[in-house]
Amino acid sequence: MTSPDTADATLPAPFMSWFEKRGWSLRDYQRAMLSRAQSEQATLLIAPTGAGKTLSGFLPSLKALYEAPREGLHTLYISPLKALTQDIHRNLLEPVEEMGLDVTVETRTGDTPSHKRQRQRKRPPNMLLTTPESLMLMLSYADADVLFGKVERVIVDEVHSLIANKRGDFTALALARLQQFSPHCQRIGLSATVAWPDLLASWLGGTDTPAGILQVPATTRPKIHILESEARMPFGGFMARYAIEDIYHAISEAQTTLVFVNTRAQSELLFQMLWEHNKAALPIALYHGSLSKEQRRKTESLMAQGVLRAIVCTSALELGIDWGDVDQVIQVGAPKGVSRLLQRIGRANHRLDEPSIAMLVPANRFEALECQAALDAVMAGELDGDKPQSGALDILPQFILNCLCSQPGTAEQLYALVLEASPYQGVNWETFEKLWWFTVDGGYALRAYERYQRLTQQEDGRYAPANRRVIQRHRQNIGTIVEAGRLKVKRIRRGNQGKIIGEVEEYFASQLVPGDTFIFAGEVLKFEAIRDMQLHARPVKGGEPKIPSYAGGQMPLSTYLADGVRSILADPSQWQKLPRQVQEWLELQQAFSRIPDTKKVLIEQFPYRKAWYTLYYTFEGRKANQTLGMLLTRRMEKFGVKPLSFSVTDYGLSVCSVNPVTQSQLTELFQPDILGDELEDWMLQAPMLKRSFRQVAVVSGLTEQRYHSSQKTMKQVTFSTDLIYDTLREHDPDHILLSVARADAERELLDLRRLADMLIRFVDKTVLVNLEKVSPMAIPIVLDVRSEQVKGAGAHAMLEQADLYAEAEAMLDEVRAILSGDNS
Amino acid sequence: MAITPDWLSAQHQCRRVFPVRMADVPLLLDARGACYLPQQDWLVVSDLHLEKGSFLHSFGNPISGLDTRATLLRLRSLIVDYSPDTVVCLGDSFHDSHSFSRISEDDQKLLSEVQNGIQDWVWIQGNHDPDIPETMGGRAIRTLTAGQVQLAHEHEPDVEFQLIGHYHPKCQRSVRRHRFRGRCFLMTDKIMIMPAFGQYTGGLDINHEVLLGLAPRRHRRHYLLYDSCIYPPVKKP
Repeated sequence: MTSPDTADATLPAPFMSWFEKRGWSLRDYQRAMLSRAQSEQATLLIAPTGAGKTLSGFLPSLKALYEAPREGLHTLYISPLKALTQDIHRNLLEPVEEMGLDVTVETRTGDTPSHKRQRQRKRPPNMLLTTPESLMLMLSYADADVLFGKVERVIVDEVHSLIANKRGDFTALALARLQQFSPHCQRIGLSATVAWPDLLASWLGGTDTPAGILQVPATTRPKIHILESEARMPFGGFMARYAIEDIYHAISEAQTTLVFVNTRAQSELLFQMLWEHNKAALPIALYHGSLSKEQRRKTESLMAQGVLRAIVCTSALELGIDWGDVDQVIQVGAPKGVSRLLQRIGRANHRLDEPSIAMLVPANRFEALECQAALDAVMAGELDGDKPQSGALDILPQFILNCLCSQPGTAEQLYALVLEASPYQGVNWETFEKLWWFTVDGGYALRAYERYQRLTQQEDGRYAPANRRVIQRHRQNIGTIVEAGRLKVKRIRRGNQGKIIGEVEEYFASQLVPGDTFIFAGEVLKFEAIRDMQLHARPVKGGEPKIPSYAGGQMPLSTYLADGVRSILADPSQWQKLPRQVQEWLELQQAFSRIPDTKKVLIEQFPYRKAWYTLYYTFEGRKANQTLGMLLTRRMEKFGVKPLSFSVTDYGLSVCSVNPVTQSQLTELFQPDILGDELEDWMLQAPMLKRSFRQVAVVSGLTEQRYHSSQKTMKQVTFSTDLIYDTLREHDPDHILLSVARADAERELLDLRRLADMLIRFVDKTVLVNLEKVSPMAIPIVLDVRSEQVKGAGAHAMLEQADLYAEAEAMLDEVRAILSGDNS
Repeated sequence: MAITPDWLSAQHQCRRVFPVRMADVPLLLDARGACYLPQQDWLVVSDLHLEKGSFLHSFGNPISGLDTRATLLRLRSLIVDYSPDTVVCLGDSFHDSHSFSRISEDDQKLLSEVQNGIQDWVWIQGNHDPDIPETMGGRAIRTLTAGQVQLAHEHEPDVEFQLIGHYHPKCQRSVRRHRFRGRCFLMTDKIMIMPAFGQYTGGLDINHEVLLGLAPRRHRRHYLLYDSCIYPPVKKP
């Protein structure tokens, strides 16, 4: 630590005695935070979990408020998770009360009741703990300048989770706006250890004013092992049913365990399976982001009281919540990324100087490879993570409207403001102007809807929302960024009576047919109907529930791990550190087919479920594989292979088709020229563009996400945004939202550069292996449920097989007779 | 009447049309979401919901108002193929009672153009558009009859055979684990429910309780519209 940092940073007496009473001493970096608080430069504190990071963030503000008590908002704390604000609130009240400080601390999230919100607006607390969405909402108030005018400090927690996603872009814009209201406000960022601290610091500080970095080194390495089960580990599958005994045993051995899984569906199933095994009736709970607020609160408080022995949870509990006495973390399923794994493991043992204990439970043998690659990386001290990207454009209309809700402005003023947010420093005026006109009146080329403007120009030239309804509608839709459409789940007891127990994605709901069963909140529910934008379901006993495939929660594998897996595979000398069953499986693969290596691309083909499957082991990551799948299926369609669908994993691509692919076709398929001229045309028709348009439509405010309960229920008044997309493409092809959707798809779905590199590298280096049935290595890929349908000859062939087409002949003759009778 | 037996065979071959019958009336279902009555030389479309885009727009929703144009252009392509004596719009042709004042000059012109050459243009009155002004051309009535079949917007309990709209049926079909979804014609021996034709219209699943009430599983047949083709009911396993 440098000396200017440590100079002149002492704590007042009540603080010192509180530290002493706890047996704590002020750490170097905490002292540094105190002295840096005197400057306006932003500070990024990077520390491993358990280092007392959060307290360090608040310490300067607590000290300032002790020395000069005052009214009004002094410090804002922004957390990416609602639950985190509750937890920090608890942990902050303790020192405030014990030190007897005259400081008010409150939370403000989407769950805060409206009377409290109104009160907070009139008499704000000194410290407000909130989420990016709630902050944005408050920034839209007409009196936002008064409310935020004297904010001295803003603390952004878990900064690393705000990089390279829309939520982060949104937060960066909110910070820029806040800074406008309170120019001297200091930004503090708290982050877990990351691969690229400098990039994070630039993000936090804003355009051209990067934050200073304070990095606290980790002193201990975690103790991690991969479960070596006596039970048979499956080749495929994602639920780890085989390991339930082992997981249960590990839970019963430890004091408190966090069991992390990757998707909500997995958490529900694992929770069920654990309770089936729960002979000792250990208190085991379930926690994921789709459960209702009441349910989550209950679990949080039970955990805080130390009553629970284990919680099965998703990434919702991954970030900084301090559960105190967790002494073991179990990761079920592949860890997907090194940094993510470290973050999860860090939940165990919140003390800096003791190692965290963790067990990895791969759900299938392929995942064991990924676990090993992650473990290798942790031991070597390697990190991965996303690098910041340019900001998502669909957020800008929302932001423009948000700013104008609080005070009128011009396009030029807002453009200058947007450039202050580092993800948007590269946005050019032409693009911004188009987004501006979209916000004003829809920005359509063909006709001007003068009567239907969202924004109207005042006499002084500035723009403001056209009426109160525009403002209301905007406020209801703020923060629709995080997730696509969601429906509340109502658990029906009798008649139509019941209570809301959580939410599911609209996509999931749209796949359900009445009578379908699914697991939610730990029990089996039968789907009845969607009414008033609520999914009505009734609890049922027994029966095999259909597995819910929540659209959310699927995490892409980091490139780093994909490379790790490929190198383990290519080097048989590394196999011996894998669990015995995994080694056997690799040997089986070697005998049955081949092991993918780094010099060639292995392609397997086999018949399965009355169709042909072709597997491409590219190891190029989900994005590149997605694009490859789209391009390959288009060309296969041309060749008459009749592709039906494809599915993508981080390792490869699986295409299902009516006819098999021949060696000569393959040579023509796997060529760089599939990225040629036709790419453009293909992309426009691809479902993936429609998918990103769907999100862009919601985020930009084109379609509504929240519906009023007064909505008529009998007929779905809503219609798919795909229809708007088609209409725009045909009749207004230069519309800004189409280019935004395109940019979004490239940002989030495509990896054209990586794909081009690979195709060039592997020209004529493909190995096609024809098999009689699915290979051991292919099983988990083929079993992956999420596949993308290909519209084309294959789909029609499928439908034709099933229909009663031939029976029309007699009827057809009759119509022919009528037609010729009239014509003759 | 412009279509010929040869045209019919060709269209049927590539699954663009499918013939069915209700009572004494043969119906030709077109994959574009329309229904042609060869005996009467009528072309029927339902639930155009013209000006739905501008309706939403007036609520501060910056949706594109191009839907009217898109819907009319699709309707025109049907009329070019069939050049029917009569066009019947089976109700909810306009999204709301202010549609007529919002419709742009260009779109109104396009509508007249589309109506040009049609001897009898019939607006069946729907719940969204009970009063259609004369400026929209054609004549507005509540019901129409073809043989024993009544054409109306909504279901009426005392009518034996009826061709209606209003419900926007859609369905999902699974073939060997592959799922296909789309709008559909839904019928029994007594009732035919047309898919919505409008550009911005959603759908109601045929398993929704309301549609099950009208077309119970045991008696229903549905004709799926998927990717420009029409697929008749699935074989019973």
